[in-house]
Amino acid sequence: MSDHPTSFQGSIPDAITTSIRGALTDAQVEVSGGGGHYTIAVTSAAFEGKGMLESQRMVYSAIAHLMAGDGAPVHAVDSLKTRKPGAR
Amino acid sequence: MPNVDSTIRELVTSKKVVLFMKGSRHFPQCGFSAQVVEILNKLVPSYETVNVLSDPEMREGIKRFSDWPTIPQLYVDGKFVGGCDIIKEMFANGELAETLGVAGAPPAAAGAAAGAPPTVHLSARAAKEMEAAREAPTDDLRLVISASFEHELFFDGAQPGDVVVDAGSITMRMDPETARRASGLRIDYLESTPGGGPGGFKIDNPLAPPRAPAVRSITPKALRAALDGGEALSVFDVRTDAERAIAHLAEAIAMNDEGQRRLAASPKDAKLVFMCHHGMRSRVAAEAALRQGFTNVWNLEGGIDAWSSEVDASVPRY
Repeated sequence: MSDHPTSFQGSIPDAITTSIRGALTDAQVEVSGGGGHYTIAVTSAAFEGKGMLESQRMVYSAIAHLMAGDGAPVHAVDSLKTRKPGAR
Repeated sequence: MPNVDSTIRELVTSKKVVLFMKGSRHFPQCGFSAQVVEILNKLVPSYETVNVLSDPEMREGIKRFSDWPTIPQLYVDGKFVGGCDIIKEMFANGELAETLGVAGAPPAAAGAAAGAPPTVHLSARAAKEMEAAREAPTDDLRLVISASFEHELFFDGAQPGDVVVDAGSITMRMDPETARRASGLRIDYLESTPGGGPGGFKIDNPLAPPRAPAVRSITPKALRAALDGGEALSVFDVRTDAERAIAHLAEAIAMNDEGQRRLAASPKDAKLVFMCHHGMRSRVAAEAALRQGFTNVWNLEGGIDAWSSEVDASVPRY
Protein backbone atom coordinates (compact mmCIF):
# COMPACT_ATOMS: atom_id res chain seq x y z
CA MET A 1 0.00 0.00 0.00
CA SER A 2 1.47 3.31 -1.00
CA ASP A 3 0.91 6.68 0.59
CA HIS A 4 -0.73 9.41 -1.38
CA PRO A 5 -0.40 13.03 -0.31
CA THR A 6 -3.66 14.88 0.09
CA SER A 7 -4.68 18.18 1.59
CA PHE A 8 -7.91 16.63 2.82
CA GLN A 9 -8.56 17.28 6.51
CA GLY A 10 -10.44 14.81 8.68
CA SER A 11 -11.38 11.17 8.47
CA ILE A 12 -11.51 9.98 4.89
CA PRO A 13 -13.56 6.83 5.71
CA ASP A 14 -16.10 9.07 7.46
CA ALA A 15 -16.22 11.37 4.45
CA ILE A 16 -16.82 8.37 2.18
CA THR A 17 -19.60 7.06 4.41
CA THR A 18 -21.25 10.48 4.73
CA SER A 19 -21.10 11.09 0.96
CA ILE A 20 -22.64 7.72 0.15
CA ARG A 21 -25.41 8.17 2.75
CA GLY A 22 -26.08 11.58 1.27
CA ALA A 23 -26.99 9.94 -2.02
CA LEU A 24 -28.39 6.62 -0.76
CA THR A 25 -30.12 7.52 2.48
CA ASP A 26 -30.78 3.95 3.66
CA ALA A 27 -27.26 2.78 2.90
CA GLN A 28 -25.21 0.71 5.29
CA VAL A 29 -21.61 1.56 4.50
CA GLU A 30 -18.46 -0.27 5.54
CA VAL A 31 -15.16 1.35 4.71
CA SER A 32 -11.71 0.02 5.43
CA GLY A 33 -8.25 0.88 4.23
CA GLY A 34 -6.04 3.93 4.28
CA GLY A 35 -3.19 5.65 2.48
CA GLY A 36 -5.52 6.61 -0.34
CA HIS A 37 -6.72 3.02 -0.93
CA TYR A 38 -10.12 1.98 0.35
CA THR A 39 -12.36 -1.05 0.36
CA ILE A 40 -16.03 -0.16 0.39
CA ALA A 41 -19.14 -2.28 0.92
CA VAL A 42 -22.56 -0.68 0.53
CA THR A 43 -25.94 -2.24 1.26
CA SER A 44 -28.95 -0.30 0.00
CA ALA A 45 -32.47 -0.91 -1.26
CA ALA A 46 -31.66 1.58 -4.02
CA PHE A 47 -29.82 -1.27 -5.77
CA GLU A 48 -33.05 -3.30 -6.14
CA GLY A 49 -33.67 -4.11 -9.78
CA LYS A 50 -30.34 -2.63 -10.82
CA GLY A 51 -27.31 -4.40 -12.26
CA MET A 52 -23.89 -4.35 -10.71
CA LEU A 53 -22.64 -1.75 -13.16
CA GLU A 54 -25.45 0.67 -12.37
CA SER A 55 -25.24 0.02 -8.61
CA GLN A 56 -21.51 0.69 -8.54
CA ARG A 57 -22.00 3.80 -10.65
CA MET A 58 -24.41 5.17 -8.03
CA VAL A 59 -21.76 4.75 -5.35
CA TYR A 60 -18.97 6.15 -7.47
CA SER A 61 -20.99 9.21 -8.39
CA ALA A 62 -21.67 9.84 -4.67
CA ILE A 63 -17.95 9.89 -3.91
CA ALA A 64 -16.73 11.37 -7.20
CA HIS A 65 -15.69 14.61 -5.48
CA LEU A 66 -13.39 12.60 -3.19
CA MET A 67 -11.73 10.90 -6.16
CA ALA A 68 -11.18 13.88 -8.45
CA GLY A 69 -7.81 15.43 -9.10
CA ASP A 70 -4.21 14.58 -8.27
CA GLY A 71 -4.40 15.28 -4.55
CA ALA A 72 -7.68 13.39 -4.15
CA PRO A 73 -8.21 11.84 -0.70
CA VAL A 74 -9.40 8.65 -2.35
CA HIS A 75 -6.71 7.54 -4.75
CA ALA A 76 -8.12 4.09 -5.44
CA VAL A 77 -11.09 1.99 -4.46
CA ASP A 78 -9.47 -1.42 -4.06
CA SER A 79 -12.78 -3.17 -3.91
CA LEU A 80 -16.37 -1.98 -4.09
CA LYS A 81 -19.21 -4.33 -3.17
CA THR A 82 -22.82 -3.36 -3.61
CA ARG A 83 -25.51 -5.47 -1.97
CA LYS A 84 -29.25 -5.40 -1.66
CA PRO A 85 -30.74 -5.71 1.83
CA GLY A 86 -31.53 -9.33 2.62
CA ALA A 87 -29.16 -10.64 -0.03
CA ARG A 88 -26.12 -12.57 1.04
CA MET B 1 -12.21 17.58 -25.25
CA PRO B 2 -14.46 16.25 -27.96
CA ASN B 3 -11.53 14.87 -30.00
CA VAL B 4 -10.59 12.50 -27.15
CA ASP B 5 -14.21 11.35 -27.03
CA SER B 6 -14.26 10.62 -30.74
CA THR B 7 -10.90 8.81 -30.49
CA ILE B 8 -12.33 6.64 -27.70
CA ARG B 9 -15.58 6.03 -29.56
CA GLU B 10 -13.61 4.91 -32.59
CA LEU B 11 -11.37 2.67 -30.47
CA VAL B 12 -14.20 0.87 -28.71
CA THR B 13 -16.23 0.32 -31.86
CA SER B 14 -13.37 -0.77 -34.12
CA LYS B 15 -12.46 -3.83 -32.03
CA LYS B 16 -14.65 -6.39 -30.28
CA VAL B 17 -12.77 -6.35 -26.97
CA VAL B 18 -10.91 -3.26 -25.78
CA LEU B 19 -9.32 -2.93 -22.34
CA PHE B 20 -8.28 0.48 -21.05
CA MET B 21 -5.58 -0.31 -18.54
CA LYS B 22 -2.39 0.79 -16.84
CA GLY B 23 0.49 -0.80 -18.73
CA SER B 24 0.18 -3.40 -21.44
CA ARG B 25 -1.13 -6.94 -21.73
CA HIS B 26 2.39 -8.27 -21.21
CA PHE B 27 3.45 -5.68 -18.64
CA PRO B 28 0.48 -4.56 -16.58
CA GLN B 29 1.58 -1.74 -14.27
CA CYS B 30 -1.24 -2.00 -11.77
CA GLY B 31 -2.66 -4.93 -9.85
CA PHE B 32 -6.25 -4.35 -10.96
CA SER B 33 -5.27 -4.15 -14.62
CA ALA B 34 -3.20 -7.32 -14.18
CA GLN B 35 -6.18 -9.19 -12.72
CA VAL B 36 -8.40 -8.28 -15.66
CA VAL B 37 -5.66 -9.20 -18.15
CA GLU B 38 -5.31 -12.58 -16.48
CA ILE B 39 -9.06 -13.20 -16.77
CA LEU B 40 -9.23 -12.08 -20.41
CA ASN B 41 -6.22 -14.27 -21.28
CA LYS B 42 -8.21 -17.26 -20.06
CA LEU B 43 -11.18 -16.47 -22.26
CA VAL B 44 -10.09 -14.83 -25.50
CA PRO B 45 -7.05 -15.30 -27.73
CA SER B 46 -6.59 -11.63 -28.53
CA TYR B 47 -7.90 -8.26 -27.51
CA GLU B 48 -6.93 -4.64 -27.77
CA THR B 49 -5.36 -2.82 -24.85
CA VAL B 50 -4.96 0.93 -24.40
CA ASN B 51 -2.30 2.07 -21.95
CA VAL B 52 -3.76 5.12 -20.23
CA LEU B 53 -0.43 5.82 -18.50
CA SER B 54 1.10 6.81 -21.82
CA ASP B 55 -1.63 9.38 -22.52
CA PRO B 56 -2.92 11.67 -19.74
CA GLU B 57 -5.73 12.96 -21.97
CA MET B 58 -6.90 9.40 -22.54
CA ARG B 59 -6.62 8.63 -18.83
CA GLU B 60 -9.05 11.39 -17.90
CA GLY B 61 -11.02 11.08 -21.15
CA ILE B 62 -11.98 7.45 -20.63
CA LYS B 63 -13.19 8.15 -17.08
CA ARG B 64 -15.48 10.88 -18.40
CA PHE B 65 -16.51 8.87 -21.47
CA SER B 66 -17.58 5.84 -19.41
CA ASP B 67 -18.73 7.88 -16.40
CA TRP B 68 -16.53 5.53 -14.39
CA PRO B 69 -13.80 6.82 -12.07
CA THR B 70 -11.32 3.96 -12.10
CA ILE B 71 -8.99 2.07 -14.46
CA PRO B 72 -9.13 -0.66 -15.83
CA GLN B 73 -12.25 -0.41 -17.94
CA LEU B 74 -13.45 -3.11 -20.29
CA TYR B 75 -15.44 -2.53 -23.46
CA VAL B 76 -17.03 -5.34 -25.48
CA ASP B 77 -18.81 -4.66 -28.76
CA GLY B 78 -18.56 -0.94 -28.07
CA LYS B 79 -20.31 -1.21 -24.70
CA PHE B 80 -18.81 -0.49 -21.30
CA VAL B 81 -18.83 -3.71 -19.28
CA GLY B 82 -17.20 -2.60 -16.03
CA GLY B 83 -14.09 -2.33 -13.93
CA CYS B 84 -12.02 -4.88 -12.07
CA ASP B 85 -14.60 -5.92 -9.43
CA ILE B 86 -17.36 -6.34 -11.97
CA ILE B 87 -15.13 -8.28 -14.38
CA LYS B 88 -14.06 -10.64 -11.60
CA GLU B 89 -17.62 -11.29 -10.52
CA MET B 90 -18.83 -11.73 -14.13
CA PHE B 91 -15.97 -14.16 -14.77
CA ALA B 92 -16.89 -16.23 -11.72
CA ASN B 93 -20.59 -16.46 -12.62
CA GLY B 94 -20.02 -17.09 -16.32
CA GLU B 95 -21.56 -13.82 -17.55
CA LEU B 96 -18.25 -12.60 -18.91
CA ALA B 97 -17.79 -15.63 -21.18
CA GLU B 98 -21.33 -15.00 -22.43
CA THR B 99 -20.66 -11.31 -23.04
CA LEU B 100 -17.48 -12.20 -24.92
CA GLY B 101 -19.35 -14.85 -26.91
CA VAL B 102 -16.90 -17.66 -26.17
CA ALA B 103 -17.86 -21.29 -26.52
CA GLY B 104 -18.78 -23.61 -23.71
CA ALA B 105 -20.66 -23.63 -20.46
CA PRO B 106 -19.73 -21.11 -17.77
CA PRO B 107 -17.07 -22.17 -15.28
CA ALA B 108 -18.53 -23.36 -12.02
CA ALA B 109 -18.93 -20.49 -9.58
CA ALA B 110 -16.31 -20.45 -6.86
CA GLY B 111 -17.31 -22.78 -4.06
CA ALA B 112 -20.17 -24.34 -6.02
CA ALA B 113 -20.05 -27.88 -7.30
CA ALA B 114 -18.04 -28.20 -10.51
CA GLY B 115 -20.00 -28.72 -13.70
CA ALA B 116 -20.12 -32.12 -15.37
CA PRO B 117 -16.63 -33.01 -16.59
CA PRO B 118 -16.26 -33.03 -20.37
CA THR B 119 -16.19 -36.27 -22.33
CA VAL B 120 -12.71 -36.90 -23.68
CA HIS B 121 -11.90 -39.83 -25.96
CA LEU B 122 -8.39 -41.17 -25.51
CA SER B 123 -7.60 -44.07 -27.83
CA ALA B 124 -5.95 -47.18 -26.37
CA ARG B 125 -2.87 -46.54 -28.49
CA ALA B 126 -2.62 -42.94 -27.27
CA ALA B 127 -3.15 -44.06 -23.66
CA LYS B 128 -0.27 -46.53 -24.03
CA GLU B 129 2.05 -43.83 -25.39
CA MET B 130 0.99 -41.48 -22.60
CA GLU B 131 1.57 -44.14 -19.96
CA ALA B 132 5.15 -44.57 -21.21
CA ALA B 133 5.77 -40.86 -20.63
CA ARG B 134 4.56 -40.89 -17.03
CA GLU B 135 7.47 -40.35 -14.61
CA ALA B 136 5.85 -40.42 -11.19
CA PRO B 137 2.99 -42.79 -10.37
CA THR B 138 1.18 -40.01 -8.49
CA ASP B 139 1.10 -37.75 -11.56
CA ASP B 140 -1.96 -37.47 -13.77
CA LEU B 141 -2.21 -36.43 -17.37
CA ARG B 142 -2.85 -32.71 -17.56
CA LEU B 143 -4.60 -31.16 -20.53
CA VAL B 144 -4.30 -27.44 -21.20
CA ILE B 145 -6.28 -25.81 -23.99
CA SER B 146 -5.48 -22.14 -24.45
CA ALA B 147 -8.03 -19.53 -25.48
CA SER B 148 -6.65 -19.79 -29.03
CA PHE B 149 -7.15 -23.58 -28.87
CA GLU B 150 -3.53 -24.63 -28.62
CA HIS B 151 -3.44 -28.02 -26.91
CA GLU B 152 -0.84 -29.21 -24.43
CA LEU B 153 -0.55 -32.58 -22.70
CA PHE B 154 1.88 -33.37 -19.91
CA PHE B 155 2.05 -35.14 -16.58
CA ASP B 156 1.91 -33.32 -13.29
CA GLY B 157 0.25 -33.37 -9.89
CA ALA B 158 -3.17 -32.17 -8.78
CA GLN B 159 -3.97 -28.44 -8.73
CA PRO B 160 -6.78 -26.79 -6.77
CA GLY B 161 -9.91 -26.35 -8.88
CA ASP B 162 -9.00 -29.15 -11.30
CA VAL B 163 -11.72 -30.83 -13.27
CA VAL B 164 -10.98 -34.55 -13.24
CA VAL B 165 -11.86 -36.73 -16.22
CA ASP B 166 -11.65 -40.50 -16.26
CA ALA B 167 -10.29 -41.31 -19.73
CA GLY B 168 -10.17 -45.08 -19.49
CA SER B 169 -6.85 -46.23 -18.06
CA ILE B 170 -5.62 -42.70 -17.44
CA THR B 171 -6.97 -39.98 -15.18
CA MET B 172 -6.88 -36.57 -16.82
CA ARG B 173 -6.86 -33.24 -15.02
CA MET B 174 -7.60 -29.83 -16.40
CA ASP B 175 -8.36 -26.32 -15.19
CA PRO B 176 -12.01 -25.21 -15.52
CA GLU B 177 -11.32 -23.02 -18.58
CA THR B 178 -9.73 -25.97 -20.37
CA ALA B 179 -12.66 -28.17 -19.35
CA ARG B 180 -15.05 -25.76 -21.10
CA ARG B 181 -13.02 -26.18 -24.30
CA ALA B 182 -12.51 -29.95 -24.04
CA SER B 183 -15.97 -31.42 -24.61
CA GLY B 184 -15.83 -34.06 -27.34
CA LEU B 185 -12.04 -33.92 -27.59
CA ARG B 186 -10.43 -36.91 -29.31
CA ILE B 187 -6.82 -37.85 -28.68
CA ASP B 188 -5.23 -40.47 -30.88
CA TYR B 189 -1.71 -41.56 -31.73
CA LEU B 190 -0.50 -41.87 -35.31
CA GLU B 191 2.52 -43.94 -36.31
CA SER B 192 3.41 -41.40 -38.99
CA THR B 193 1.91 -38.22 -40.39
CA PRO B 194 0.41 -38.18 -43.91
CA GLY B 195 3.31 -35.99 -45.12
CA GLY B 196 5.75 -38.79 -44.21
CA GLY B 197 6.88 -37.22 -40.94
CA PRO B 198 7.35 -38.99 -37.63
CA GLY B 199 4.36 -40.14 -35.61
CA GLY B 200 2.74 -38.29 -32.78
CA PHE B 201 -0.43 -37.47 -30.94
CA LYS B 202 -3.34 -36.31 -32.99
CA ILE B 203 -5.86 -34.08 -31.23
CA ASP B 204 -9.25 -33.31 -32.71
CA ASN B 205 -11.28 -30.68 -30.93
CA PRO B 206 -14.80 -30.14 -32.26
CA LEU B 207 -15.04 -26.85 -30.32
CA ALA B 208 -11.94 -25.35 -31.95
CA PRO B 209 -12.78 -22.67 -34.50
CA PRO B 210 -11.96 -23.73 -38.06
CA ARG B 211 -8.37 -22.90 -38.75
CA ALA B 212 -7.39 -20.90 -41.75
CA PRO B 213 -5.70 -23.40 -44.05
CA ALA B 214 -1.93 -23.10 -44.06
CA VAL B 215 0.76 -24.14 -46.50
CA ARG B 216 1.92 -27.62 -45.56
CA SER B 217 5.43 -28.97 -46.04
CA ILE B 218 6.34 -32.00 -48.08
CA THR B 219 9.82 -33.52 -48.30
CA PRO B 220 11.31 -34.65 -51.65
CA LYS B 221 11.09 -38.29 -50.50
CA ALA B 222 7.42 -37.93 -49.54
CA LEU B 223 6.65 -36.29 -52.89
CA ARG B 224 8.45 -39.09 -54.75
CA ALA B 225 6.43 -41.65 -52.80
CA ALA B 226 3.18 -39.81 -53.50
CA LEU B 227 3.94 -39.62 -57.23
CA ASP B 228 4.97 -43.29 -57.33
CA GLY B 229 1.84 -44.23 -55.44
CA GLY B 230 -0.28 -42.55 -58.10
CA GLU B 231 -1.70 -39.97 -55.67
CA ALA B 232 -3.76 -37.29 -57.42
CA LEU B 233 -1.71 -34.13 -57.16
CA SER B 234 -0.28 -31.39 -59.32
CA VAL B 235 3.27 -30.08 -59.00
CA PHE B 236 3.78 -26.48 -60.09
CA ASP B 237 7.32 -25.28 -60.78
CA VAL B 238 7.53 -21.53 -60.22
CA ARG B 239 11.10 -21.11 -61.47
CA THR B 240 12.14 -19.33 -64.67
CA ASP B 241 12.42 -21.10 -68.04
CA ALA B 242 16.21 -20.68 -67.87
CA GLU B 243 16.37 -22.53 -64.56
CA ARG B 244 14.05 -25.25 -65.82
CA ALA B 245 16.37 -25.75 -68.78
CA ILE B 246 19.16 -26.62 -66.33
CA ALA B 247 17.18 -28.98 -64.12
CA HIS B 248 13.56 -30.01 -63.95
CA LEU B 249 11.11 -32.53 -62.61
CA ALA B 250 9.37 -34.58 -65.27
CA GLU B 251 6.03 -34.40 -63.41
CA ALA B 252 6.10 -30.65 -62.78
CA ILE B 253 3.98 -28.11 -64.61
CA ALA B 254 5.82 -24.89 -65.50
CA MET B 255 4.09 -21.89 -63.93
CA ASN B 256 3.81 -19.95 -67.19
CA ASP B 257 0.55 -18.72 -68.76
CA GLU B 258 -0.51 -22.29 -69.43
CA GLY B 259 0.44 -23.28 -65.88
CA GLN B 260 -1.59 -20.36 -64.50
CA ARG B 261 -4.62 -21.60 -66.49
CA ARG B 262 -4.16 -25.15 -65.18
CA LEU B 263 -3.93 -23.84 -61.62
CA ALA B 264 -7.03 -21.66 -62.02
CA ALA B 265 -8.95 -24.63 -63.41
CA SER B 266 -8.01 -26.91 -60.49
CA PRO B 267 -10.68 -27.76 -57.91
CA LYS B 268 -10.24 -25.73 -54.72
CA ASP B 269 -9.49 -28.86 -52.70
CA ALA B 270 -7.05 -30.37 -55.20
CA LYS B 271 -3.63 -31.25 -53.77
CA LEU B 272 -1.21 -28.69 -55.13
CA VAL B 273 2.55 -28.89 -54.58
CA PHE B 274 4.67 -25.85 -55.34
CA MET B 275 8.40 -26.10 -56.00
CA CYS B 276 11.32 -23.88 -56.93
CA HIS B 277 15.10 -23.94 -56.45
CA HIS B 278 15.32 -23.96 -52.64
CA GLY B 279 11.70 -23.73 -51.50
CA MET B 280 11.46 -19.97 -50.87
CA ARG B 281 9.78 -18.67 -54.03
CA SER B 282 7.48 -21.68 -54.06
CA ARG B 283 6.31 -20.88 -50.52
CA VAL B 284 5.33 -17.39 -51.65
CA ALA B 285 3.44 -18.90 -54.59
CA ALA B 286 1.79 -21.46 -52.30
CA GLU B 287 0.61 -18.72 -49.96
CA ALA B 288 -0.79 -16.83 -52.93
CA ALA B 289 -2.69 -20.01 -53.91
CA LEU B 290 -4.20 -20.15 -50.41
CA ARG B 291 -5.40 -16.59 -50.81
CA GLN B 292 -7.06 -17.62 -54.07
CA GLY B 293 -9.08 -20.14 -52.07
CA PHE B 294 -7.10 -23.35 -52.58
CA THR B 295 -7.08 -25.36 -49.38
CA ASN B 296 -4.76 -28.32 -49.98
CA VAL B 297 -1.52 -26.49 -50.68
CA TRP B 298 1.97 -27.91 -50.15
CA ASN B 299 5.49 -26.58 -50.48
CA LEU B 300 8.34 -28.82 -51.61
CA GLU B 301 10.84 -28.04 -48.87
CA GLY B 302 14.36 -27.48 -50.17
CA GLY B 303 13.15 -27.30 -53.77
CA ILE B 304 14.74 -29.08 -56.68
CA ASP B 305 18.10 -28.77 -54.96
CA ALA B 306 16.94 -31.05 -52.13
CA TRP B 307 15.23 -33.29 -54.69
CA SER B 308 18.60 -33.76 -56.39
CA SER B 309 20.46 -34.52 -53.18
CA GLU B 310 17.77 -36.70 -51.57
CA VAL B 311 15.85 -38.42 -54.37
CA ASP B 312 17.42 -38.21 -57.80
CA ALA B 313 21.10 -37.36 -58.15
CA SER B 314 20.76 -37.32 -61.94
CA VAL B 315 18.97 -33.96 -61.65
CA PRO B 316 21.74 -31.36 -61.98
CA ARG B 317 22.31 -28.94 -59.10
CA TYR B 318 23.00 -25.32 -59.84
